[in-house]
This record gives sequence, C-alpha cells and structure tokens, in this order.
Amino acid sequence: MTIFQSRFRLAALLLALPLTFSACKKDKDPEPEDDNEQITTVTYVLTPTTAGAPTATFTWRDIDGAGGNAPTITSTNLRANTTYTGAITLSDETKNPMADVTKEVAEESDEHLFIYQSTPPSLLTITRTDLDKNNLQIGLATRVVTNAAGNGTLKITLRHQPGSKTGSETAGDVDVEVTFPVTVQ
Amino acid sequence: MVMTGLLALPVRAQDAPISNICTLALAGRVADHESGVVLPGATARLVETGEVSAADPYGNYHFHVCAGIYHLEVSFVGFRSETAEVRVTSSVVRNFQLHPDAVQLQGAVVRGHAPPPPATQATATLTGADLAATRGQTLGEALLKVSGVSAIQTGPNVFKPMIHGLHSNRVALLNNGVRQEGQQWGQDHGPEIDPFVASQLTVVKGAAGVRYGADAIGGVVLVQPAALPDSAGTTGEVHAVGASNNGLGALSATVQGSPAGLSSLAWRAQGTVRRAGLSRTPDYWISSSGLAEYNYSAAVGWQRERWGVEAFVSQYNAQLGLYPVPENWNVTARQGTVAPLPATFSYALDRPYQQIQHTLFKLNSFYKLNGWGGRLNLTLAQQADRRGEYDKYRPRNDNVAQRNLPELDYRNQTSTADLRWEPHSHGDFSGELGLSGTYQDNTYRPGSRYFIPYFTNAGGGAYALGHWRPGLWLLEAGLRLDRRYLETRRPSRASGSFAVVRESFAFTTPSLSAGVARDLGPHVTLRADASLLQRPPAANERASQGVHNGIYEEGYDITRPPGTPGLGPETARSAAFSMSWHDHPRLNGELTVYQTHIQNYIFQTPIPPVLDIRGLFPSYRYQQTDARFHGLDLLVAYRVARPLTLGAKAATVVERDLRRDDYLILAPADRLEGWLRYEAEGARNAPRRVRGFYAQLGAQGVRRQTRVPLDNNERDYLAPPPGYWLLGAEIGGTLQLGPRTPLEISLTGTNLLDNTYRDYLNRYRYFLDEVGRNVTLRLRVPLAFGTSKN
Repeated sequence: MTIFQSRFRLAALLLALPLTFSACKKDKDPEPEDDNEQITTVTYVLTPTTAGAPTATFTWRDIDGAGGNAPTITSTNLRANTTYTGAITLSDETKNPMADVTKEVAEESDEHLFIYQSTPPSLLTITRTDLDKNNLQIGLATRVVTNAAGNGTLKITLRHQPGSKTGSETAGDVDVEVTFPVTVQ
Repeated sequence: MVMTGLLALPVRAQDAPISNICTLALAGRVADHESGVVLPGATARLVETGEVSAADPYGNYHFHVCAGIYHLEVSFVGFRSETAEVRVTSSVVRNFQLHPDAVQLQGAVVRGHAPPPPATQATATLTGADLAATRGQTLGEALLKVSGVSAIQTGPNVFKPMIHGLHSNRVALLNNGVRQEGQQWGQDHGPEIDPFVASQLTVVKGAAGVRYGADAIGGVVLVQPAALPDSAGTTGEVHAVGASNNGLGALSATVQGSPAGLSSLAWRAQGTVRRAGLSRTPDYWISSSGLAEYNYSAAVGWQRERWGVEAFVSQYNAQLGLYPVPENWNVTARQGTVAPLPATFSYALDRPYQQIQHTLFKLNSFYKLNGWGGRLNLTLAQQADRRGEYDKYRPRNDNVAQRNLPELDYRNQTSTADLRWEPHSHGDFSGELGLSGTYQDNTYRPGSRYFIPYFTNAGGGAYALGHWRPGLWLLEAGLRLDRRYLETRRPSRASGSFAVVRESFAFTTPSLSAGVARDLGPHVTLRADASLLQRPPAANERASQGVHNGIYEEGYDITRPPGTPGLGPETARSAAFSMSWHDHPRLNGELTVYQTHIQNYIFQTPIPPVLDIRGLFPSYRYQQTDARFHGLDLLVAYRVARPLTLGAKAATVVERDLRRDDYLILAPADRLEGWLRYEAEGARNAPRRVRGFYAQLGAQGVRRQTRVPLDNNERDYLAPPPGYWLLGAEIGGTLQLGPRTPLEISLTGTNLLDNTYRDYLNRYRYFLDEVGRNVTLRLRVPLAFGTSKN
C-alpha cells in the first residue's frame, strides 16, 4: 500500500509539471507590425504645364488602418481646360521611418499598373506617360487634361499583376482603390 | 434478435402457463454499486436462450422474450457477475448494481473513466456504423449527422459546429476530455481535431455549463477515443477513404496493445494523412480549395488496482485552402452574380490558406480512496495552437516574401487542470465535486498583423453535481461558480502613433442546473432540464479588429460610443424537454423541444462597409442584445418490415432579437431529412463472404431562411439563398477476406443529382456554390498481430 501511495505522489508531482511551463511566462506587449505591408497614404500631385494655374494635390490618408478613424480625403480644385503633369506617391506612415511604397512599385513596375478613372469620363482625360521594361504602361507618371468646368470623382486603382501584366486593367489583385471628389472650375 | 428468441424457445419458458406472446420486454439498467455510475457496455445474457444484450450509453440492456422464467446473467469487466432469476409474465424491469471485483482487476482492467454525459439532457452519439459513415470528413461536417446540429461553413473545407443555433464561444469542444482552445478566434476556424482519434462523438444538446464550464451555453461536443486495451496482445485498424469530388484520399492507422507480461501497461499510436485537391461545384472547380492534413496521437497508460496514470499526446497539422475572396463582391453580389475564379483541378496549395498546428499533451490519473472516499480524478493538460493565415496577396517586399510567413499568425498556449472527486454513493444518492483552473496566453508573431489582441485569461471554477435515484426517477442538480480574469493588450494608432491599449476585466459567473429523467417502461425515457448560465465575453468579441480574407471584423469594445460600458457577460436561461424511445424492435427516436433566453446575447452582425485603402470592405461587428431561441429536433426510425427501416430527421430553430422585436440574422434554416434503409439479416454463424449488407437511399431538404431581420436588405449583402434538396445513397457491408480479416466497405454518394445550391450559413455563399456530386469509398480493416491468420 505504501508503495502505491508513494508512487501516486511521484505521479502527482510529475503531473504538476506542465503548469510550471506557463507559470513563468512574462507579460509581453504587441509590437508594431513591421512585416505588414500597408499603404496608409496616397498623394496625387498635379502640376500645371502652363504657368498661372496653382498646383493641385489629392490626398487619401488613413494611418490607423481599416476601421477606427475614417480616412481623411482632401482635394484641391482644378482649373478648366488645363494640362497637368501628375505624379503619384504611396507611403506607409505606420513605419518609422516612413516607408516609401512608390519606390517599391517603381522597382517592380513590370508587375504594377495604375488605373485612373474619372466620373463622368468627360471631366478629365488622363494618360499614363511612363513605360516598364516590357514597354507596358505603369501610371506612376501621368498627364491630366481638364475639360469644361464640372464636378465628379476620380478613382485611382493600383493593380498588382505578378506574372500577369499584359496591359489588361482587370488582371491581378487590388493593392489600392481610392476615390477622390473632383471639382473643375 | 426477436427471431432468435423464437427459434430457441426455452423448455422452461414453455412450461409457464401463460400466453405464448414472445414480445414481452425484459429490460433494466446496470450500474456500479459503489458509485451509482451506469455501466454502458455491460453484458446481459439470458442463460436459457443464450441471447446477449450490451448495455447502451445509459446502462440499459433489454430483451424481447416469451413469458416464462429466465436466468439473467449480468457481467462487466472489473465487476463481479450477478445472476438473477426473473419471472416474466408481462414486461419486466430488473435493475442490477454490480460490485467491483478486486481480484478480476488484476487480469482485466477497466481503463479510461470518462464521466458520462448528463443523463437528464438530450444527447446524441455517433459511433459504430454512424461514425464510420463520416470517416474522412472534418469534425464539423461529421456532426451534421446529428439532428439539431448545423455548421457555419467557410468554403468547402471549414465547418464550425453550431448546436441549436449557438456556436463558437458557446459550444464547448472536449477533445479527449480536454477543452479545445483556439476555437474562440473566429467563425472561419474549424475545430483543430482529427476525428479519426475518436471511437465515439457525443453531442450534448443544450446548456451543460455546470460540468463543462460557462462556455457550454449551446452544448458540448465530446470527442472520445476508445479506452486503452485491457487484454494482452497487439491489435490495430486501418481506415482508407477516397472521394471523387475533390480527389480526397485519407489514410488512418491505429495500433494498440498491452504487453503479455505487463498487464498494467497499455499503449496506442495513431496517425492520419488526409489530402484533397480542388472541390467542384456542378459547374466549376473551386479555386484554391485543396487541403493537406497530417495528424498523429499516442497514448500510454499504467493502471493498477487503486490508481492509474495515462499520458496522451496528439498533434494536428493542416493546410486548408481558402477561396480567394473576390474584390468588391459585396457590390457585385447585390447587382447580380459574382463570377467564379477560373481554376483547374490540382492538389497544389496556394495562397490564400490557413496553416494550423494544434498540439495537446495530457496527463490523466485516478486514485481510489479508502472506505467511503470514492474516486479522485486529476487531469492536467497543456495545449498549443498556432494558426497562420496566408493572405491571397504575396508581400511586395522580396525579403519579406522570401520568408513566406503568414500575414496573420496567432499563438495560443493553454494550461488546464481539473480535479474531480466522486464519493461513493450512499443509497440512492451520488454526486461529484470538481475544481478546474485555466491559464491561457494568447499572442501573435511579432511583426505580423494584429487581428486578435494579445491576451491572458486566467480562470478558476468549482462545481458540485448531485444525483438522486428514487425508483424509476433520476433527479440531478448542479451548482458552479467561476471567476475569470481577462487582460487584453492591443495596438492602436487611433491617436496617430503606435500605442498599446491595455484593458482588464474580471467576472464571477454562476451556473445552476436542475434536471430530471424518468423511464416509462424499457423503451421510453423522458428528460427535462432547466439551467441558468452566465458567460463573460471573450477577447475576440471585445477587441478583434482588422481585414482578413476580404472581410473587416471588429469587436464591440473597439468603437463603442464613448462613455458607454464595454461588453458585459451574457446570461442564459434555458429549458429543454426530450422524449426518447429506444431499444424497440420497430420504433426508435427522439424528440427535443427547447427554449433559451439570453440576456445580453453577443453576436456578429453585418455593418455598413468600412472604407479601406483597397476599397469598401464587407464588415461585421459584435453587438449585444437580448435574444430568445426556441426550436425542435426530431429523429424517428421506424422498421416497416424486417429488413426495411424508414427514417426521418427534422430541425427548426427560431431566433428572436427581443430588443428590436425582430428576427436575428444568420439563423440556421429549417431542415428535413428522410431515408429508407435496407439491412440484410444474415443467419448467425453462417460462413458468408458478405455480412451485414445494407443499402440506404435518402433525401435532405433545406428551406430558404425566411426568418431574417426586417431590414435584411440593407444589413445583409445578399438575400438568403433559395431552399434546396439533395439526394444521397449509401451501400456497404463486411467482406470476409479471411477467417479473421473482415473488410468493412461502404460507398456513399452525396448530392447525387449534382444540384447547384448555396447554404445560408456558408460565409462564402455570396460568391460560391456548394460542392456538387461526391462519391466516397470507405474501407476499414481490423488488424491482429501475433495471431495466426490461417
């Protein structure tokens, strides 16, 4: 009987071991998500080719990610019947220092395509002016021609098309899809 | 059985001067005299006819006999056999209480002592042929066989069980006696359990919080392996499953034994491999729906007369393909149909997919105390769950992409300890006391994306359950008290820069239950129970946030209006009544009616799409309301002629939001199933090549869910899909390959007419059809090593 009991005690001691594993765990805190590739900010700067008109800037910014605070979307008015040179920049402001996503897109320009759609279509005429190594358009650099005065929207989409870039505007996955209000006056 | 009784009419029975009706019931319950616990599997033998009846899960045996005098011998391994003379003039109930046999325990040992599920609640068990018919399926899919159980699906591979309309944090999953952790993360997570481990799946339908903890508001799923072998020798079995729809192949093997010279020792090893390619709807292949699963488990036990120890380890490894959720489907779905992604059949697994590893280590021991002390049972378990979720987007940065790490990478470590004491029964009274403790640590890989916060969860509980068995009644009452601490730590950039929000909560929650069971003769049992349960909110209901697989989800506390309190515990008051008619030669079945009222019910509901850099995302948020669930489950099997059985199964549940006086969203639709089964009756001992041949034809109908919120058009992205019906068939039997090598073989066809349909509870129903026709071949061969097979 005593043998049984001492064995039982030994067994109970062995059984208590797993609890000690978790008992000495330290409290940790979440860290910034370094691997997580976010795009928090899209800036589209339109510089007029003719002097006189002011530079216009479209900004879409959501630094706390999806949900929480709503993104802030700002735009400045465009002048009618004017030609602008457009430059788009993408960045991740959650990283320190701020990550320049535009550079990454430029390095892999043969896998990316920007699509610019104005509603109504007559509001703006937008042409991609840059080409990748396969002679396909990218859209980091653009030319924007405004027509008559009016209101509408501009939707900018960045499609990631690894191995599937043929110039098609539907292939691949969406990396960015932002919409700005546009006023041409 | 009736047949053999007729053929072997005992001489003494014929002497009795009573009418020669041979359908008189002789039945009763077999229990342990010491503890009062019923003894499922105990054997009752009629000495005169040689007929044998094994006690069912409630310890009931039964025979149908002619009038007369019989000698009934009842035996069970580890107990002294008892013989009683029974005079049968009308139906007779004769109960037995067996005494543990100390001498016999030396040679043959009862191993494994899982507490039986509450006897006063509706329970359904999948075992034997029913379980065999689900081999190769996931646990959640297998449980769909039980009426009243449905599943939240995420594409064709992920099934999360739902009992009476309740799921996730309200259904406790007990994997070999240990609560499965990690399931609380989300609805798109199937249980990380290999069903091949189980020899029995039990579903407790309804609140069972006193024994299983405050989470068991909806019910409990018990995944139970067979007890370790108790006789010397090495045996095993091999299962092989192949399916036509997705090219599924599953192989599972078990080897177990007990060394001849060391009868205290017993062991088991088991492993499963499961692979499948893309699933197919009637019209197209479902992109990225393959899966790969590798699981193993091992157990070793050492058992003596008064004490025993068992160690169990298991690991579940799976890669489950997920359909790449199409962009802007919420917009497209409303306008028409979302076109499926093109795909061709392949076994390759590509993004997006879930990569899951669940490891469980469990030590279980019991000790029999002296005198009135009864039995002590201690279970300690450590489990680790790692779940990686690969987005469909590959990282842009080549260095990051090369590491190929999942974008979401949850880690959960849980230690649990349960101590149970079952004192010896005193007269009609018996009971048990229990203490349980949990410590849980949940994190995600540093650098990966936040979705579920870091949290630590510590809890302790104590409960007491008492039984009183006056005559044919069984009364049960239980009380439990839990205290749970939850501390969450989540990142936030709401202020503009990175910060960690720490919140802690503590709740003391009571559980009360009372139940009654009454046998009306040997074939009818009535059960009723009522309970009050309280459940504190889980971390994901409070503080999950983010876009995952094309859907934005957030916990209630994330964006609750300033100044309002966070989520509080939900309080469930439930009552259920069930009537089962069992062990009858013709009519068997069960009817359950239930009502659950949940104050502060926590549920997920669609909210207006959240604007993200990638556009508008379909979004869900946890909300709290008062809810009422009531419903009915029915199972009936009627033997129309000797080889033919007609069966039907039905389930309905009505879910009301009492604060809005409206229906709740995402309730399971009504379902009805009917079948006709042919079972060949082979003459006993006949040396046939094929035994136990059966064939079954069945149809399943599911209604369109019409009980939806009034504003469903604005709330849901698509109206509930139309009702559907599916045709299924199964044939099977046992092929005698050699004198000791029976091969169980079955062929099952589902959705035989290749109907195109969608199910309301599939999270991908907005853009994906359900799978089409599937034919599954299942084989099982038992193995015996070291014995001549001739």
